[in-house]
Amino acid sequence: MDLKDIKAIIDLMRKNGLSEFELERQDFKIKLKRGVTGPMASVEDPSPAAYSAPLPPTGANGLPAAPASAAPAAPAPLEIKSPMIGTFYRAPSPDAANYVEIGTEVTPETVVCLIEAMKVMNEIKAEVKGVVTHILVENAKPVEFGQPLFRIRPT
Amino acid sequence: MFEKILVANRGEIAVRIIRACKEMNIRTVAVYSEIDANSMHVQMADEAICIGKAPSSESYLRIDRILSAAEIADVDAIHPGYGFLSENAHFADVCESCNIRFIGPSSRAMNALEDKAASRILARKAGVPTPPGSEGPVDNEQDGLAVAKRIGYPVMIKAIAGGGGRGMRQAHNDVSLVKGYHTARNEAEKAFGNSGVYIEKYIENSHHIEFQILGDSRGSLVHLCERDCSVQRRNQKLIEETPSPLIEGRFKSLRKQMGKAALRIAEAAHYTNAGTVEFLVDEKGHFYFLEVNKRIQVEHAITEEVLGLDLVKLQIAIAMGEPLRLSQSDIRLRGHAIECRINAEDPFDDFRPCPGRVEMYYAPGGRGTRVDSHVYAGYTIPPNYDSMIGKLITLGKDRNEAMDKMSRSLSEYMITGIKTTIAFEQAILQDPNFRRGVYSTSFLENLLGGAQRELIE
Repeated sequence: MDLKDIKAIIDLMRKNGLSEFELERQDFKIKLKRGVTGPMASVEDPSPAAYSAPLPPTGANGLPAAPASAAPAAPAPLEIKSPMIGTFYRAPSPDAANYVEIGTEVTPETVVCLIEAMKVMNEIKAEVKGVVTHILVENAKPVEFGQPLFRIRPT
Repeated sequence: MFEKILVANRGEIAVRIIRACKEMNIRTVAVYSEIDANSMHVQMADEAICIGKAPSSESYLRIDRILSAAEIADVDAIHPGYGFLSENAHFADVCESCNIRFIGPSSRAMNALEDKAASRILARKAGVPTPPGSEGPVDNEQDGLAVAKRIGYPVMIKAIAGGGGRGMRQAHNDVSLVKGYHTARNEAEKAFGNSGVYIEKYIENSHHIEFQILGDSRGSLVHLCERDCSVQRRNQKLIEETPSPLIEGRFKSLRKQMGKAALRIAEAAHYTNAGTVEFLVDEKGHFYFLEVNKRIQVEHAITEEVLGLDLVKLQIAIAMGEPLRLSQSDIRLRGHAIECRINAEDPFDDFRPCPGRVEMYYAPGGRGTRVDSHVYAGYTIPPNYDSMIGKLITLGKDRNEAMDKMSRSLSEYMITGIKTTIAFEQAILQDPNFRRGVYSTSFLENLLGGAQRELIE
């Protein structure tokens, strides 16, 4: 079994929505499992002398780097991070409704909040498509550059 | 009284400012770029606000973000440190218009000294000698050639907006002048956003001697004597000392003369807060005005040691409106102080910057040894900023004792994981000319051309 074969198996798993695959042969055993954060792999070699091909370069989870681009079943959550420093507001004005709540569907153009700096109100757009799962900052609190504001489940 | 100060800087000077604030019971706000999240100034400050990504242009130079941070943290004043926005008159103006005190000279003073060419003109009007050179900026190569013809080669082509020893080119004849003129203008545009250059006579074997000045908002001004910064590599200072061995050894009357000249320039510019007037002195003891640094400087620490003063606290006090309680007769040098700048550079590889993770860090101590650094074991020096990682300062009762303490301290200083200039500076401290106190700005280049490698090893 070489890298091409392993990639083919992963592809098949993805296409058919399979989450587990295990294959055992005389000289080789492979187990592939797909999870929320991406596929993981463990390659066990019961007789090291028989498996002489060099290991392909792996990513952090032990899987060859290439298949990482395969879309996993449950997409990783995204964060909307603050592009500036200022005060975070959830609504356009004190008595108006919040821009978004948990469960609100957003598109890249949806305004999710205001950040006020030096008396100037800046509309912050989602820039992603998905559903709001977490609101990470309280209304009227200060935020810094890069601070996560919302967590979005991409759709 | 300030309750909160935002430190618009990083590294050792940010730590320095935070220390002064803590001693004055003033709360501190650090601003930092993403790569500086683990930096010492962020740990030390009472509050810290991330203002952008690693490049200075996206963080420490972002006036809008710094002011936003100042606003949400509700600070009374901003200390700009040195470099970055410290000499940016626009930044000082914006702070004032937001009711935030800028800890530094007034924008009026900054504008009077807005660039090196304007400062030359101001100095001449104040009756202070300047090196022969162009009246103001040189706008084309014809004018440049005419100036060079009038004053004679060799000359220096200098960026009017230059700083930190950058933006300078020597020319020895018409050919190198024309070439240098255009190169200098291009480099200046890229580095400082201002392509203006002026031309000055190149003074050979000069000594770089600068005077610290301090002024309050009522116009009281004093000078805090000189610092000799002639040990330079490519126009970047490496070792500084006070008093100047040249003045002490050969031209004792220069201190009073140059001090007075520095004050005349400060008065002409209506200077407030801390600043430094730089001069070149030739082998015959003639001095010439170079420029004014309108900020606290790296080497301010040696002046503090020989005068028993805290210059950063004085800056803050002046910014709070307090009158200067020092008179010129109070200023008397006691002892001798030397500073070595510790840089993350490889002296054996043309001083190539060596950012990276500091594995082991042990700083020297003991009587008369001072270390101003933001570095600690496990800290990763980012590649995005200058390579200075600390300053080692010693104070002795005289120059010999200060040098002995410096040698001892350099030998104790352990930094592993990165390359530093420590061993190189130890070699300088052993050099017979340095020990005798006989050296000019060509000293280090001569040493580097010679057998210094043996000495270090």
